[in-house]
Amino acid sequence: MKLQAKYSRATISTAIFVLILGSISYYFILRYVLIKEVDDSLRVEEQEILDHVSVHHSLPEETNYRDQQIHFIPATTIEKRRFVSTNVVNEKEKESFVSRQLIFPVQVGEKSYTAIVTKSEEEAEDMLILIALLTAAVVLLLFILLFITNRILFKKIWSPFYATLSSMKQFNLSNPGRISLAKNDVDEFNDLNMAVNEMTGKVVKDYQSLKTFTDNASHEMQTPLAVINSKLDLLIQDQELTEKNMHHLQSIYDSVMRLTRMNQSLLLIAKIENQQFPDAKNLRLDDLLKERLQHFEELIQSKQLIVSTALQKCEVVMNPILADMLLNNLLANAIRHNIVAGNIEVETANNYIAIRNRSESSLLDEKIIFDRFHKASHSDGLGIGLAIVKQICELYGFRLEYAFKKQMHDFQVSFR
Amino acid sequence: MKLLIIEDELELSNSIVSYLKSESYSCEVAHTYASALKKIDAFEYDCILLDIGLPDGNGLKILEELKQDNKSEGIIIVSAKNSIDDKIKGLRIGADDYLPKPFHLSELSARVAAIIRRKQFTGNNKLLFNEISVDTVSRQAEVNGEVVDLTRKEYQLLLYFIVNKGKVISKNAIAQHLWGDGMDTSGNLDFIYTHIKNLRKKLHEAGCADYIRAFYGMGYKFTE
Repeated sequence: MKLQAKYSRATISTAIFVLILGSISYYFILRYVLIKEVDDSLRVEEQEILDHVSVHHSLPEETNYRDQQIHFIPATTIEKRRFVSTNVVNEKEKESFVSRQLIFPVQVGEKSYTAIVTKSEEEAEDMLILIALLTAAVVLLLFILLFITNRILFKKIWSPFYATLSSMKQFNLSNPGRISLAKNDVDEFNDLNMAVNEMTGKVVKDYQSLKTFTDNASHEMQTPLAVINSKLDLLIQDQELTEKNMHHLQSIYDSVMRLTRMNQSLLLIAKIENQQFPDAKNLRLDDLLKERLQHFEELIQSKQLIVSTALQKCEVVMNPILADMLLNNLLANAIRHNIVAGNIEVETANNYIAIRNRSESSLLDEKIIFDRFHKASHSDGLGIGLAIVKQICELYGFRLEYAFKKQMHDFQVSFR
Repeated sequence: MKLLIIEDELELSNSIVSYLKSESYSCEVAHTYASALKKIDAFEYDCILLDIGLPDGNGLKILEELKQDNKSEGIIIVSAKNSIDDKIKGLRIGADDYLPKPFHLSELSARVAAIIRRKQFTGNNKLLFNEISVDTVSRQAEVNGEVVDLTRKEYQLLLYFIVNKGKVISKNAIAQHLWGDGMDTSGNLDFIYTHIKNLRKKLHEAGCADYIRAFYGMGYKFTE
């Protein structure tokens, strides 16, 4: 839920609660006051009637006005004096009015009467409604204004927060432009910005030093590897080595080679991440693929693979070294993981390249095949070729897709 | 042929010296930037191996120095940083080749030989080994004066063998030389066998003696 929605929900529900409770009590208080008023005037009327009786010893004339009626009824028993709210039906106009009556006994000589003074409450009721409506309108207006000003104020006050949030969202560790957070007049937001600045600064610094460390470590490893390699090259010149020795040496050679390649691949990935391959050129990937196929000719032949190509013009702007790497890794995989006498399909069109191969394995897990050091159990590779491919595709915004169709592993890179 | 090896890693320079010495190069070693500059001032060399990551100075400075003095040495940059920037920069200043660490000694030897060939001769340039003659300009091999029809890789392989004649070359070195870094072939170098078999067959058919000897499946030696 958005902060503003949450805030609005809280204020609006409180407002509605107060409004309902307030208007109910307001209505009753007002009503009470108005009825009291009517009762007072009924009392005045009563006094007048009693005064008239005591002076004239007779009942005053009955009146029947719209808003006030006085009736006298001969009484057998003495009625109790009381106020009554009732509906009086006016026979002439066939309407009923909410009315207030004062019923009290009147004694004229020997005769007892019950006097009923009725006053229409209509006027009071009308006033009540009018006041209620007016008040409701004012309160509603107040609410609307409050709501709008809240909204505007909210936007204004929180705008530095949203600015901070959006610049944090755009923050990219591998390409950190300095987060610039403007100063504002809310202390909390300034604190937040300061904390964010400090944090990103530290993260960037740590990341940089980690990267430098990896870089240096990989570079420093090259020289010892070179020493091992050179010693092996010398060692195998020895005439007295036995076959067993040679096998051991071969294992060392292979391990050193793996280590070397791993090291180089990691350096390469780091370089791609650091965007150290800026020189993009317009390249014909179909031509490059032909070259690569020629390069791998002997390998293809030794595995008796059948290569079928459907190469149409495919022009892409990218760094030539990375283009080579991309095609090389995809093709090398297609050869290495192929079965003997299997087949490879290479296809290019103006916006994609696809390389398909047979293999002993069936569907691979698309989620992890592009991860570093992930490899199928029977694979003797490093598990880093596809990670490099992915990295290159990410750098240029190419779409890299894997599918398993018709018993073929299908790797497709789409441009644009 | 006089070589200067500018390399701060003692063991590596030892290896290089003992490998190249047996190919009748005379080698001198400089372990620091300062001693390298001294040697360059005092002597003439045919080829210089230059590690650009020296502890007391950047090897590229030495390169600039050499070029300012109009020295004609062939220069191979050796670097632990397989960096394209360094490579481009080095080659622009005037290095002849760039070899990233780690490398095989046979590869280094082939590069050195290529540079010395380039520096010494112009035009007709032939390597001879008994009845085999390899023309590195026209990229053709002849046996007893007859051209042998080799593929590009077979030609490269033959040349590699001749330059490293008498030495055992590991399969890994051959794979690296012919297919470069791009080929992630770890664990399976069997295809090299097929490749060598083809070369052998072609040479044999041309009337050439069999000089290629296998060493327990780990390498090959080109020898009489």
